[in-house]
Amino acid sequence: MPELRRDPVIGRWVIISTERSKRPDQFASALVEKEELAPGERCPFCEGNEDMTFPEIGAIRRPGEPSNGPGWEVRVIPSISPLLQVEGNLDRHGHGMYDLMNARGAHEIVVESPRHIEEADLSKEQVVRSVNVILDRIQDLEKDLDIKYVLVFKNYGKAAGGGHILHARSQIIGTPVNLKRIKEELEGTKAYFTYKDRCVFCDIIKQELQAGKRVVAESKYFVALAAFASRFPFETWILPKEHSCDFYKVERGKIPDFAELTRTVIAKMRKVVGSFPFNFILHTAPFRRDVAKRGYWETIENDYHWHFEILPMLTRVAGFEWGSGFYINPLPPEDACKAVRDAQVEI
Amino acid sequence: MNELVRDPITARWIIVPMGSSADTVRFETESHAKNKENCPFCYGSETMTPPEITAHRKYGGANTPNWSVRVVPNKFPALRVEGELERQGIGVFDMMSGVGAHEVIIDTPDHFRDMADLTHAEAEEVVWAYRARSLDLKKDKRFKYVLIFKNYGRSAGASLEHPHSQLIALPIVPKRVHEEMEGAAKYYDYKERCVFCDIAREELEEKERIIYNDDKFIAFCPYVSRFAYEVWILPKKHSSDFANIDRDCVACFAKALRDSMARIKGFLKDPSYNFIIHTSPINGHEREDYHWHVEIMPKLSKVAGFEWGSGFYVNPVLPYIAARNLMSVAIPER
Repeated sequence: MPELRRDPVIGRWVIISTERSKRPDQFASALVEKEELAPGERCPFCEGNEDMTFPEIGAIRRPGEPSNGPGWEVRVIPSISPLLQVEGNLDRHGHGMYDLMNARGAHEIVVESPRHIEEADLSKEQVVRSVNVILDRIQDLEKDLDIKYVLVFKNYGKAAGGGHILHARSQIIGTPVNLKRIKEELEGTKAYFTYKDRCVFCDIIKQELQAGKRVVAESKYFVALAAFASRFPFETWILPKEHSCDFYKVERGKIPDFAELTRTVIAKMRKVVGSFPFNFILHTAPFRRDVAKRGYWETIENDYHWHFEILPMLTRVAGFEWGSGFYINPLPPEDACKAVRDAQVEI
Repeated sequence: MNELVRDPITARWIIVPMGSSADTVRFETESHAKNKENCPFCYGSETMTPPEITAHRKYGGANTPNWSVRVVPNKFPALRVEGELERQGIGVFDMMSGVGAHEVIIDTPDHFRDMADLTHAEAEEVVWAYRARSLDLKKDKRFKYVLIFKNYGRSAGASLEHPHSQLIALPIVPKRVHEEMEGAAKYYDYKERCVFCDIAREELEEKERIIYNDDKFIAFCPYVSRFAYEVWILPKKHSSDFANIDRDCVACFAKALRDSMARIKGFLKDPSYNFIIHTSPINGHEREDYHWHVEIMPKLSKVAGFEWGSGFYVNPVLPYIAARNLMSVAIPER
């Protein structure tokens, strides 16, 4: 019998299918193919090709090296085709019954290695450096009062909407409005908090650590869980064990631990599935600055809990999912978790 | 420079290009090489599916050829029709048994003709089947919602190439539907008008995004399209429940659907797509604040981390340009 499971945070139902079930090793057809650059094509993210990008926003470079040249470790550049732009104003206006505004915001790319390597090949030091740079960028974007929320994500592989160039990088998008997905989460966590006076994510972590069957990996400060109501096969969440609503306020001393855990989880998943396409998405609280405390802002520091979601794109989202917001997952999260947890990797 | 547009129903924001810069956007579409060998939905393979639920046939018995539309249970159902709905909780988590119906509507016996290639009369038969199955499943007290949809092409999630639609009856009202109902209800509370009726009025006034218009239905590329070449079909007369569609309307709806599909197929060179009938939950009386409609979403680009994480969408083609392009193709008369 298939099972319906409800995500305790936003109330999304997922069908864990038994009729269509697959084993953890049966997703090979959906893997990311080897990168092929066109003849003469250069990767704009590689060291030495700095002339192909807009002038950099920032970089970690060796002392004395001038900007927009080689000699860097992590480099932040404006997106080549930005969805949102830093210049201009919002200019909110209406068109008949519709509302519009200019696409004011920020869209940056964090290039995580000067050499042409993929996400999974980043060293621990490279991940730590990149995360630190991302934290700096969010702190900087907070000063732009038009930006309400900063989304950090990775698209790896075409199925995940990534480009054909596989050079390791993250994207940062600062948006002028609060995001619908995040609002849903904030509303869900607030409702739970109102009812129980506890953070739903803290409750999930506690219950999962006790039960154990969906714990993919654990470190001193973080835990990786196979989500109870996983939408996708191998969906994995990485959460800080200690309650905190803002990613950008994380203690820098915990970043190496986070980097280690994330690398381990990705390596183990690749051991089981192969080079799977995925989205890696930060979920954190919106900037609050000094907005009047009302609605979901009032308890946000107590009820919301930042985390990352790894969404492997091994199945296709079809009409049913689009129409219903209901997902069909052919792999029970417990099976996915066991396979990934038991995978032996050297990292 | 891009612009942000807000969907008045669900409050989703969509990023669109400003002005008319997107005239030249080209999309890669996957090819649909077709092979009818071993197809379980062709004539003569009736025993490869579970026994049929219903079919339109001029002569011959059940589960034999000579049908024009055939409805069968899905061989690999996402939900099972037998059993009781059992709910339980484990700590913070809630679950229930996967009770529901999952049916396949085989649109035509012809392996090589999709909705876009059917005659109006053939499309009408498909719509009749949608209606009949909706009415039947509405009687089952365990179900709260009937979702009718179609996946065409692998990237839209189709696993079989023979033209077919699907129907899933669910024991709960799905989240997206719930959101849409809530958005529409809020609008109604504020304005005492149906938001979809307002959209139809606005589209008819502005004209430039309309791709089909008769006295009962309009089809258009909505001002707030999430996807390039997204098309909506809306009945002009307010009604919240697709299953209540009347006899005259079935023919007009089939025509609007077939013609829209033919334009999409013609201009975009046979793209993969999903279409979904959005209707009110079961057990609703006719509601004044909701309006059934169809959303057609060609699969031209991949949803990426930004969309997943934000609920924002990026549409590279301005809807009026999409409409103009769709209107530029000739489609069969009947």
